[in-house]
Amino acid sequence: MKDAREERLGWALAFPALGLVALIAVFPVLWTFWESLHLDDLRMPWLGRPFVGWDNYVEVATDARFWSALGRTATFAIVTVALELTGGLVLALMLDRIVRARGIVRTIVILPWAIPTVVAALVWRFIFESPGGLATAALTQLGVAAPTWFAGEFAAWVPLVLADVWKTVPFVALLLLAGLQNIDRSLYEAADVDGAGPWQQFINITLPLLKPALLVAALFRALDAFRVFDVVYVMTGGGPGTATETVAIYTFSTLLQHLRFGYGSALSVIGFALAFAFALGALRLFGAGALRSRDA
Amino acid sequence: MRVIRSLVALAVLIPALGCSSGPAVLSFSGSSVGREGEVIKLQLDRFAREHPELTVELRPTPDAADQRHQLFVQWLNARAPDPDVLQLDVIWTPEFAAAGWIATLDRFHAATDDFFAAAVAANRWDGTLYSLPWFIDVGMLYRRTDLVAAPPHDLHALVRLAKDAQRNNGVPFGFVWQGARYEGLVTVFLEHLGAFGGAILDPDGRVAVDSPAAEAALSFMRDTIYADAIVPPAVLTWQEEQTRFAFESGQAVFMRNWPYAYGLLDNASQSRVAGRFAVTSMPSAPGGTATAALGGSALAINAFSEQPEAAYQLIDYLLEPEQMLERARIAGQYPSRRALYETTALAEALTIPVDEALSVIERATPRPVTPVYSQLSDILQISIHRALTRQQEPGPALREAAAAMRALLARARLGPGGS
Repeated sequence: MKDAREERLGWALAFPALGLVALIAVFPVLWTFWESLHLDDLRMPWLGRPFVGWDNYVEVATDARFWSALGRTATFAIVTVALELTGGLVLALMLDRIVRARGIVRTIVILPWAIPTVVAALVWRFIFESPGGLATAALTQLGVAAPTWFAGEFAAWVPLVLADVWKTVPFVALLLLAGLQNIDRSLYEAADVDGAGPWQQFINITLPLLKPALLVAALFRALDAFRVFDVVYVMTGGGPGTATETVAIYTFSTLLQHLRFGYGSALSVIGFALAFAFALGALRLFGAGALRSRDA
Repeated sequence: MRVIRSLVALAVLIPALGCSSGPAVLSFSGSSVGREGEVIKLQLDRFAREHPELTVELRPTPDAADQRHQLFVQWLNARAPDPDVLQLDVIWTPEFAAAGWIATLDRFHAATDDFFAAAVAANRWDGTLYSLPWFIDVGMLYRRTDLVAAPPHDLHALVRLAKDAQRNNGVPFGFVWQGARYEGLVTVFLEHLGAFGGAILDPDGRVAVDSPAAEAALSFMRDTIYADAIVPPAVLTWQEEQTRFAFESGQAVFMRNWPYAYGLLDNASQSRVAGRFAVTSMPSAPGGTATAALGGSALAINAFSEQPEAAYQLIDYLLEPEQMLERARIAGQYPSRRALYETTALAEALTIPVDEALSVIERATPRPVTPVYSQLSDILQISIHRALTRQQEPGPALREAAAAMRALLARARLGPGGS
């Protein structure tokens, strides 16, 4: 009897918080989903706003521009996450060894992450501008013919990936550094006694014990990279042609430039579903187990 | 109970207060930065002094066309009665008219014959007049007169002259234009397209960008970059200002740009080419005619405005010859009234010689007049940019664009010539 009352009280107390979450998280998602079942084209208001069922989703399925954007986004995510994890790990190992001026060094290292993405992207765009950008000038000095970066189907990715990696390696490094400092030093001492070299220690001690932190970093970064928008928007706008158009950029231009609210909502829902499924899948695969192994 | 009653009283009072607060507010929305802002503020003030029964307010909007467009669409889609008078880019009138967002002007019986015919054509939709041309922009060919004495008689001559000047005078670029993926690229393409005898839509409103003429035009543009090497690949990332900087610093023989550049290039304190350049229209190629893309702005009345008569008075005032001359003098923008080009007042107001300006304006070709122009343009921008950055051959790129444009027109359910 008492239990039931307490349970009711608990729900009552949690209600405001749950309501708020529903209002700001669940409601917009549901609303977007409802919108995605309509033809709602602000630039063709004479068509009205009829309910069209799954039509928008059928159009997405046959939209070559969407599928190539999805392929590009996945490739971008894989490449940048791999680079960021490698770079972040190296940086974290270095930071872990530094004894003097720790605070200052760490502050300096974290700076790129603290700069707003739009500002950082503008700087990188400036560096790669043609002609006259720093990167172009430097290559010319070395006697290498620099491409017109933002007019090249593949060359345009170089500044994009560089900017993203430069900006987020510090974040990954910080996450991994926390993981490194959680490793019991006595393990290394024992390994030293057993005659294990630094490489063996890294492979057999550091990496396995760093796995939870690595997975968290990979998950965070993969989700972010999948939704990448600001870097691309500022630097290439998705061009040349649509060579660097990601799912987020395509969704944005459909919704806010072409004002196709119905179709754009369908794209948003699909983007959301993919990210959600990915996060859920990743947690199922190693998330929970990996996180628990730390306590064991 | 008391609370409710006072709330009701308040609800009744607030709108009443709103209505009784002095003269009606007439609002204008358009470019309000720089020289343009200077002129519009002057003219709105004068208009307000002549009409003490009205309070005139300027609603500043972003200067970038895309952003202003987004804002207008949001306002009008929400049926906001404010602003009353809208400055529309020349390509927006059909879209806003078909949406029912701007009022027809037929009942005011404006003397449309006084304006350039091409400009008025862009202000009609479905045979009805929805806006009036305010000022005119046209694409022009700038040429270094110290490097090339006479203007090229066709595009192939332009290539030859540019190459010669590059070789003999060490000028790095032969020809520069706006090649980034944006609306400017479509205007440059339109000029090449007209030169080769093509069009974006045929006279019946059917998509024609997969015609042999269009393929020839796009192939020509691509060859000037990669085969003739007169156009630097960097133009594929350039908009107006980057081309002007290149020309201004003496790095280019020819430049395609709008009239605004003339005054800046002629300013010896910042330009290395002051006094050493001239403008003509873009040349033709065999099979076509010399073509200049028509740009500029029009004035329209918000369909939800509560005072369309007062709004029209303001439009009428802004379109008076005196205001146009003042605008030409301060902002360098071309009047849309043809008769003004015969006056000495305009010759004194403009930096570009009037006869040169007039000969280009008379070749001005509007972009397709359709409510879905922006979407058509977006498709075209992507395909042209793909072809120019060598991701696709010109032929397939244009066929793909044409297919997408036809699908869009079908989706829009606009029969040729009507909604």
